[in-house]
Amino acid sequence: MDIFSDLFMGLSIAITPINLVYLLIGAMVGMIVGVIPGFGPSAGLAILLPVTFGMDPIGAIMMLAAIYYGAMYGGTITSILINTPGESATVASTFDGFPLAKKGRAGPALVMQAVASFVGGTVGVILITILAPMFSQVSRSFGPPEYFLLACMGLLTLIVMIGSSWKLGVISALIGLALGTVGVDLETGQGRYTFGSAELIGGIYFIPIAIGLFGLGELFYAFWSGLHNTGSGSIVQYSKEQRFWPTAQDFISTKWTMVRGSVLGFVVGVIPGAGATIASLMAYSTERSLSKHPERFGKGEMAGLVAPETANNAASSGAMIPLLTLGIPGSASTAVLLAAFMLWGLRPGPLFMSQNPELAWGLIASMYLGNMVLLAISIFAIPLFVQIIKVPYRILGPAVVVICALGTFSVHASFIETYLMFAAGIVGFFMRRFGFSPAALVLALVLGPLAEEALRQTMTISRGSFAIFVQRPASLWIIGITIALLVFLPILGRIGSRAANTEKAGG
Amino acid sequence: MTHFHTTLKAGAVALVAAAPLAVATPVVAQQYPDPGETLDWTIAFGPGGGNDIMARTIVEIINTYDLYPGDIALENRAGGSGAVGWGHLYGQSGSGYGISTTSGSFVTTPLQADTPWDPTDFTPVALLATDDLVLVVNGSSEIQNIDEFISYAQENPVTIAGTGTVNVDFIVPTLFAEAAGFEFEYVSFNSMADQTTALLSESVDAMVGNPGEILGLIDSGDLRALVYSGSSTPEALGDVPTMGDVGHDIGVSMPRGLILPPDAPEEAQQFWIETMQQVVETPEWAEYIATNTLTPTVLYGEEFREFLDRTQTGFGEVLRSVGAIQ
Amino acid sequence: MRIVFLVALLGGAVFYSYVAFIDLSFFNQRGRPGAGFFPRIVGVAMVVLVLWAMVDALRDRRAAATNGFHDGLGDTGSGWQDAAKLVLLALTYAVLLRIFGGFVSTIIYLGLALSVLNPGRHLQNALVAVIMPIVVYLLFDRLLNASMPPALIDLPF
Repeated sequence: MDIFSDLFMGLSIAITPINLVYLLIGAMVGMIVGVIPGFGPSAGLAILLPVTFGMDPIGAIMMLAAIYYGAMYGGTITSILINTPGESATVASTFDGFPLAKKGRAGPALVMQAVASFVGGTVGVILITILAPMFSQVSRSFGPPEYFLLACMGLLTLIVMIGSSWKLGVISALIGLALGTVGVDLETGQGRYTFGSAELIGGIYFIPIAIGLFGLGELFYAFWSGLHNTGSGSIVQYSKEQRFWPTAQDFISTKWTMVRGSVLGFVVGVIPGAGATIASLMAYSTERSLSKHPERFGKGEMAGLVAPETANNAASSGAMIPLLTLGIPGSASTAVLLAAFMLWGLRPGPLFMSQNPELAWGLIASMYLGNMVLLAISIFAIPLFVQIIKVPYRILGPAVVVICALGTFSVHASFIETYLMFAAGIVGFFMRRFGFSPAALVLALVLGPLAEEALRQTMTISRGSFAIFVQRPASLWIIGITIALLVFLPILGRIGSRAANTEKAGG
Repeated sequence: MTHFHTTLKAGAVALVAAAPLAVATPVVAQQYPDPGETLDWTIAFGPGGGNDIMARTIVEIINTYDLYPGDIALENRAGGSGAVGWGHLYGQSGSGYGISTTSGSFVTTPLQADTPWDPTDFTPVALLATDDLVLVVNGSSEIQNIDEFISYAQENPVTIAGTGTVNVDFIVPTLFAEAAGFEFEYVSFNSMADQTTALLSESVDAMVGNPGEILGLIDSGDLRALVYSGSSTPEALGDVPTMGDVGHDIGVSMPRGLILPPDAPEEAQQFWIETMQQVVETPEWAEYIATNTLTPTVLYGEEFREFLDRTQTGFGEVLRSVGAIQ
Repeated sequence: MRIVFLVALLGGAVFYSYVAFIDLSFFNQRGRPGAGFFPRIVGVAMVVLVLWAMVDALRDRRAAATNGFHDGLGDTGSGWQDAAKLVLLALTYAVLLRIFGGFVSTIIYLGLALSVLNPGRHLQNALVAVIMPIVVYLLFDRLLNASMPPALIDLPF
């Protein structure tokens, strides 16, 4: 198989004026969709899918793919500016992104996230181009035992972000786990905490909770602490530093973060169903353990923003592998792409790439172009977005409430979820006020059901034996990597920081 | 409550089409359908899902062939696994200008939640197709056909994966195993993608699912199809036998049909039965059936109501026996 | 305040565990983890930890009472007042959305909220209250085909 001739063929298909127009439209729409809280890539794709009916499949798939990763670029913007993650994959980007904005470094933060997204996305496509068949094997070695271990690994990374009091952090995570059990039990079909309500059959969706806890919670907290009356009355209180461009130091200090984030994100993204959320969390906690200054994380450390951003974009590229090589959608977004393939009468599966080389390689080629286009759009759009943090809270506050409410509503057109978002906002304020961890709650809500379902599936499959976790090669790998992360990284980190301290002492 | 602008588009097409008709036949106020009334078409799920695609396909066909004189307003009223959308239709009781498409949840949601309506309350128009399932094993499995599978399963209890429990995915293998006399443990997954991954990673012995999403894997030999639960095997599956062919017919499937509000006028029911008789004859419909690997099973009017009643009773019995519902 | 929040949490945790023990079984028919397995573990852990946190909170309060300790700048009273205003306005918006739909309620809400939070600047407030809903409407309804909350009562415009 000659990769380069395939890729050139793909490029020659992708680079036609009309296809480039579709790509550009898709990228812009994706950015807009991503910026609106609630409207993640999957909701955006589902809603815009009907637009592509009647289009030529290659142009249509290029546009849909552009919407998909365009939304990944746009999704972080609100995480940084108003502390509101639009989807679970950008929760980790709020940890250091919003503190950076508060420090007056919103411009550099946004540029760095665009660069990080570009690096993650591009490394992801390069890996797809050269290693798709190999990673296809990774995709097909994951079953319930591996998912359980992976979810546990994700939950363990919560330790890193639990904050000052472990007790309150664990309580936050438990609330998330409890909310995650609402809905029809997957195994028995029994309703849990549904109380006969049809609205609750499907469980509690994390988007309204995340938007409420982070977006509204932060807003109420800002008013409570009087930020709207102090300083400039806006997010940036004392604008010491107002440089728009990142410094050379920002790039130098995060170059290895980008490499690690890309590879880690891609590998996790390849696993169907694990995806960008777990990838971004793992990247964040890995960087923190490796950092010479772990204490700076959560207070506006550039590496703490770059790590999850490279990882979630690399993961969204990685999620293309099971889609293209097995016909299995690894995420809600790729499920919509799969539906599109099927609507065009294509048959996704292992033979897809060899049966439809123009479409598959056209798509891959368009991903290279799309990432470049999006980096360019981001650089142009960022100066506009940065203005948001200068708007005084007394005007920004009501506007954020509107965006959060309408964004939540648009996802499932549900009033119940919109009210849930408001309730989560109030709870989020108290959680922040009393030192709980909203991040732990949201992530436990995402990972808890995955862990519970996978454990119970595993127990059915193994007929109650735990030995299954050490009998499967993939499980052993995960256990090994987890131990490595838990034991070796902190040691490495400690040695690193000791070295740094000696240097400082010496100098 | 999603406002899709298909409303506008469909309306414009319908208006253009209706104009000459309106001149030719003077409109009688009592006659159904009155071109002045907008047809309120409820899709009880969000965009992109199976129900949504079916509704949009039917409306597309109706518009292409000018089968309905007035405007059609398509709205996604998602929420509560269909309870919101069908609840909306239930609220239009007595009207002939509300309509909706059904899918599996139309039968299962009332079993799980306190919905004010039952499937049999609505005025039935037609059952158009059924969702049927194929039983597959991993391509590397030693089991080559359904007879080998049954005899293997009789010796060693197997695990079979499916999507959800209050679902045809659970009911079909349960009834089939009872008929064929083997034991299995059902492993419930959240989606077709999850269960396919589990089977490919050799975590489970077999799975059931709609063939549409896994045809690619069957073609490539990664999965092996053993038996099909519908009355006739879709062309894409080749010579895979049906459960009836191997002597264990179970006769349960998910209904995809069309319904009107409860107590809709008889003319309306009659109009839609005749319209659907035309729709199912179109090449577009045949293509829809083929790409989604559905089984074309057509029943009109009261026969459809009986089918719904039978299906729901059957489901209820199986699910109560395992304690999934009270 | 913290103790009140913890009491509310405890109430929730107790109710959650109660349902887990009454309605949901720990093991399924085959003796594997059942529907109540996770909820019971999570519920019990939550009750224990919340009680523990309450003990801590009470001890802190006693310490704070003796030291005259005050935490956070919002506790001065005006912070609570402003946060409460914003919360009340947000809840009003939630109710308005159900009745008047996305577009109209956004205009009413922004007009109301800005006149409370940003008093005196009438022109600025009026512009924001009108322009933002229009932009949002064009973005959601026209460009993205997304749903805006529909009105329960149809207004004549």
